[in-house]
This record gives sequence, structure tokens and C-alpha cells, in this order.
Amino acid sequence: MNLKRLGRAVGLLAALTLASPAATHAEDIVRIASAYRTTTLDPALSAAAGNIETYGQLYGRLIRRAADGSLEPGLAESWAVSDDGKTVTLKIRDAKFSDGSPITADDVVFSLLRVRDLKESAYSAPLQQLAEAKAGDAQTVILTLKSAFAPFVGNLEVFNTGIVSKKDVETRGEAAFTTTPVTSGPYVVKEWRPNDRLILAANPHYWREGYPKNDGAELIEVVDDNTRVTMMIAGELDAARGVPWSQVADLKGRDGISMPLEPSTVIFMTLLNHSRAPFNDLKVRQAAAHAIDTVAVTKAMTFGYAATANTTLPGAVDFHDKDNPGLGYDVEDAKKLLKESSYDGKPATILITDSAESERLAVLLQAQWAVIGLNAKIEKVDGGVWWERVPGADYDAAPTWWYNETPDPDLAVRWALCGTCGSESYYTKYNNAKVDELTETAARELDPVKRGALYKEIQTISTEEVAQIPLYYPPYANAYGNRIKGLMMTPSLQWTLEETEVVQP
Amino acid sequence: MSRIPAIGLRLVQLLPVLIGITIVTFLLVKLSPGDPVRLMLGDRATEETVAAVRAQLGFDLPLWKQYLSYAGNLLQGDLGQSIRYRLPVLDLILGVMPRTLFLATYVLVLSIPATVILSVVAARHAGKPVDQIIRILSVIGMTIPVFWLGIMLARFLGVELGLFPVSGYGDGFIDHLHHLFLPALSTSVWLVPMLVRNLRASILEQMEADYVVASRAKGLPARYIFGRHILPNSLLPTLNLLGVMIAFLIGGSVIVEIVYAVPGLGGLMIEAVLARDYTVIQGLTLFYALGTVIVTLSVDLISTWIDPRVQL
Repeated sequence: MNLKRLGRAVGLLAALTLASPAATHAEDIVRIASAYRTTTLDPALSAAAGNIETYGQLYGRLIRRAADGSLEPGLAESWAVSDDGKTVTLKIRDAKFSDGSPITADDVVFSLLRVRDLKESAYSAPLQQLAEAKAGDAQTVILTLKSAFAPFVGNLEVFNTGIVSKKDVETRGEAAFTTTPVTSGPYVVKEWRPNDRLILAANPHYWREGYPKNDGAELIEVVDDNTRVTMMIAGELDAARGVPWSQVADLKGRDGISMPLEPSTVIFMTLLNHSRAPFNDLKVRQAAAHAIDTVAVTKAMTFGYAATANTTLPGAVDFHDKDNPGLGYDVEDAKKLLKESSYDGKPATILITDSAESERLAVLLQAQWAVIGLNAKIEKVDGGVWWERVPGADYDAAPTWWYNETPDPDLAVRWALCGTCGSESYYTKYNNAKVDELTETAARELDPVKRGALYKEIQTISTEEVAQIPLYYPPYANAYGNRIKGLMMTPSLQWTLEETEVVQP
Repeated sequence: MSRIPAIGLRLVQLLPVLIGITIVTFLLVKLSPGDPVRLMLGDRATEETVAAVRAQLGFDLPLWKQYLSYAGNLLQGDLGQSIRYRLPVLDLILGVMPRTLFLATYVLVLSIPATVILSVVAARHAGKPVDQIIRILSVIGMTIPVFWLGIMLARFLGVELGLFPVSGYGDGFIDHLHHLFLPALSTSVWLVPMLVRNLRASILEQMEADYVVASRAKGLPARYIFGRHILPNSLLPTLNLLGVMIAFLIGGSVIVEIVYAVPGLGGLMIEAVLARDYTVIQGLTLFYALGTVIVTLSVDLISTWIDPRVQL
């Protein structure tokens, strides 16, 4: 009897905890799963994967990048660069924000200066050369640069330079971005469920006629790799980002799923701490590099789907030096170099985050270094600690990856190889005055051929000096279902979601 | 007999516990390494930007000042704002709570009848093959890792047979039941054996008790003795175990949540810890503490109802 009552109580509880009613699925909603989360809708506030993909769907940029990598008009229908390269004049097209208000030159100036000047701006580097931005008239923007700067127009395509509504941001403040921001891109936020998913709906005022070619999308955050694959196979997704390499062959072989393995600007490498022993000694760094069979590492890590890295820059950026022979695998040479070096046998710390991939990579490095007598111990920490210790230069080696948000190598060099550009060569403290100087010269050089030669020199110097040990260039391991057509990820980490059609309901 | 004063006393006793919890979690998260601001801004932010945002959030103040302002807000019912999402912590928690409660309830609905039936069958046939089989299955159920079972069930029942969705929680009551079946089943496979072992043992113990022997001697029907005396008296220890398990389910269903992509309280906690989202960690801990107290209080109340000799 009491049991019966207990049963009834449980039943009642079940009825009471009916979850909130969620959106019903329309037929042409594109469902994409990724491990990376949307944590803010404000384009100025983050440069973390997850947010980068989201910004591109919400905020239109002045310039777009065509599939072949060339620049084409975006919110700016045309632009002109003055002969001295110091003034860029952009004509803003007749376009509207998602609330129906016109996008004006004032909004453009506001958005760009916000990214450059806001104290909390996560990544102001793409606009560092901007000296002054002003509106000529309602539809004309005049940007004055500190000096001629070859990558500047291309940088107006970077993920955080999207145009936001001046009026809305000034009226609502921080709240403008917490739930339903006024957008200028192909989508508006239908519902944001933090820690779960972002539901997008087509922006009815989007300037590109006939786009987006779908009603909306769900960016679903699924942290577990296996779960994304299972969902993909079960047909619960149209696209999954980051399929584990071990499962690529299986997915490729399945009906209705394709894996085009699009090129990315991602580079896997290991950071070396140049500010303390043992890797402050060039000979130890060279020995460490020669000890690693990068071809075998590439194969072991990615089942051969990636290309072996040969220079310190990502393989897909412009001016990547394909002819650079790389550091080469030579155990005897490595042993000799280590013997000549100041290395005293103390184990170096390989600092990694807690993921199966980094652990595998760290074990491979450790084993190959052991062969030449370079001792290393692996220290596993979570992302929070890793990001405290690496900027603090409290590590010896740290295998990880980075990518470049645009094909132009300028930002890549500033991030990973320049000692005086803020990040001190990705916190390795690698500092070569010649490389720093070349970085500035190359950015100001408007002739592509001469620029190419300068970046070649940067790669030669930094690879020979082992600024980092380049390992491999992976493509994107994204899986796509045949319910949709036209979706891919660009090298700049942006989904071509607006081009995506739902072909099979 | 009124239980109100006893319940009131319990709630008053809760106060110092909660204050203690706020202090401990505050110190734990603040003193552990890792910086939420760096994680929030992403790789490319400069050290100056990180410092500016830290100052804006008040992280550069002395710890005691930070705690006082946190506690002050708490007194006004304000759990604060998530550092990462810049949204109220309470909204984040309430946003995912229905799923977790639904899943926990679902697990109970599946587990309780299964536990009672299996335990009764096992106890009544103690030592016989049926009992042996149930015991072997229990050991298997308890030792299979939940994440592995989850993946296998999803691949087999979800992908190969197409019977159940492998992710999400659906829209509407029936859809929730459909979507959450595999997560609930995976959890039950682990929970039921634990409860069965406990309940079977206490039924066996009660079957040998003097009053049962006396009832039999009096000539009462076996079915009556079992339903009226043995079972109710055996339930109490299992009920207490169940209480602990429910509290655990509410906070600890992380693995199942991750495998089946049903973001609930557990997933929120893990993410908050990884992102060092202090305010969310503190808010959730308070929630768990409250939840645990409510569950144990309910178990105690049900216990007094089943067995009036039990005092609160």
C-alpha cells in the first residue's frame, strides 16, 4: 500500500518536471555539432574556437573571401586603396540590420574602433595598423593607416571585424549581446541555450538576396568525440566537426556521409621554452628537432590524413615555403648535437592538456627524445592551468596547435614567431631581432613577389633556429550528411552555412 | 503527531552548513590554479587585456573583500553572474535543471520496480539458480563502465536498430521519454544491482526474524506475511541508500549526460570547473547542498511513514 503511494508520488514528480517546451524542428534546419562552445555573442570579446564560428554567422563583414581565397565585396560594395597604401576608402552598400534599421558608415566606424580600443577586446591585432576611422558620408568610410600595410584589407574579413549596431550596443550595453543581438550577417539568434546549443534563424534583412538558403541552423555543442560520430551515423546531424582520425575511414565508407577533409590553416607543433634550460640552447633545440621522425608522427597521430609540416608556418597560409626542406630526421646528428650542447641530463617538462590526442603526441615526443638521451617527463594539467603556465613560461615543451584566421601570414608571424609583437612568439620567448624586423618590412611591402621572399626568409631563419618544432598540417576532419549540400569549413574557420541547402528533407 | 517542528529544526541546522559550504567552495576555486579570464578571452588575447578584464571583474581585490561581496549578493538571493557567459547563474542552473530532474525521475521509475521484483525473486529463491543468475547479472551491471555501456547501447539500439535517438532530450513529454530512454537505462543498469544486493540481503534477514517466525506459527498466509511484514521492514535500509543515490544522480550523471549529449547540471558543473567559472561552481554547489538536504529529509519523512517507530 505504501509502495503504491510511493509509486504515485514518483509519477507525480515525473509529470511535474516536464522540461520546458523546445522549438519544433522545421524541415530545413541545418544541424551541426562541434566540441567547441559559444560562450559569448559579442564579436569583440573572444578569440576562442566556437565563438569564431558563431561570429561569422551573426555579423557581416566588410569584405568576404571567395572559395578560391580572393577578396570580394561584403558589406562594402567596393573599396579603394590610395597609392601610398595609407588610406582605404570603402563604400558601404545599402543594407539593413536584423531589426530593419540601415547599416551606416557610423556603425562600421563604431564596430572597427570597438575591436581596436575596447579594454576587453580579445584580439585587436588585425586592426592595430588602423590610425583613424571616420565616416565620409552615410555610406562612405575612410580608414587611415599608420603606414602602408599589405594585409589590411584582408584583415577586414577576420572573424571579429563583423559590423554591430552602434545604436543597439549604446542603448542596451552588455545586454545587447547576452540574448538576441541585432545582427548584420545571414542569421539572427532564435534561442541561445548556453552550454548546450545556439539556435539560429535566417535574418530576413540580410543583404545577400536569396541567402541564407535554409531557414536556420542549430550549432549543437557535443563535447564527446564518439557521441558526435554516433549522432552522425544515426542521422541526427548534418555535420560533425572534429571526427577522431581513427574513425575517418569508417565514416568515409558509410552511405550518405562524406568527409572531404578541407584544407585548414591549422598547424600542430611543439612549443619550446627559449627562456630556460635546456631549450634556451640552440643545439638542444636542434637535437630535439632532428630526433623526431615527423613523417612517422604524422602517420601515427592522423593515420596519414595530414601533411608533414616543414616550416614554422601553417601549410595553407599564403607564402608558405613549400620548398623548405624542414629540419629532417637524423638520430645520429641529433645525438651529436646533444653531446655538444649544454644539456645536463635533467628531464625537461612536456606540459600538456588533459586530452587523449595531446597525451599521445607527448608520449611520441618523449619516446623519440629518449633515443638520443634527452630525458623528458610528461605533466598533464587541465586547460585552465595550461593557459596560466604557458604564458608564464613555466614549461619546457608544450605540444599543441594553432591556426591562422586569414590566409595572409602577417598575423600568423606576429602570433608565433615575432618576439616583440605581444605574445612573445606564442610564449616561447623566441626573440630574433631580424625576424621582428622582417615581420614589419613584409607587412609594408605591397609587391606580392617581394613579400613572398621576405616570408620565405622568416621561415628559413625561424625553422633553422627551431623557434618551435613543426609537426604536421591536418585538414579539417569534418563529416557531412547528404541531407545538405554546400556546407564546408573555410581555412579561416568559418562555416559556409548561408550557402547550405537542405536537399533531402 | 506533528512533524513540523522537527522539519523546521532540520532547516535551521542547514544554515551553518550552507555558510560553511560557501566559504569552502569560494576558497577552493579561488586558490586553485587557472584563470577564467584567459580561458574566456581565448588564445590570442594579450596579457594587458587579461589584466584589464580581471580588474573589471574585481579579481584583483583581496580575497576577503571578494567573499564579502559574494556573500552579500547571496543574502539578497543573487547567485551572481557567470564569468564566462555574463548571464545570471540562476538562469543557467534553472535552464538545465528540468532535464536532470526528468532523467533522475526516469531512472527511478525504471529502477525501483526492477529492484523490488529482482530482490523479491532472488530472496525467495535464495541459493537457487534464479538467485545465482540475478547475482551474477548484478556483478556484471555494477562493473560495466557506464560510458562504455552508453556507447554500446547507442550504437546498437540507436544506430543499428534505430529504436531510440542517441542524443538530445526532445520536445514534449513523450519525446523526452523516448530520447532519455537510453541514458536512463544506462544509469539503471548500474543503479539497480546496487539496490538489489542491499534489498535482497535485508529481505533475507527479515525472513529469519522472530516476529516472522511467530506469524508463521500463528498460521498467517505466507503471502500476507511477506507483503505486510517482511517487505516494508526490509525497505528502510534500501530507501536510505536510494536517498544517497538520488542525490548522487542529480549531480553525478555527468558521464551519461556527456555520452548522450544531454547537457544537464552535471555537464554544467564540469564545464564550469574547466572554465574556472567561479560563480557557476559556487552556485551549483549550493544547489547540490540544498538538493541533498531535501532528498535526505524526504527519505526520512518517508521512513517515518513506512515505519512509525522511526523518529525524525
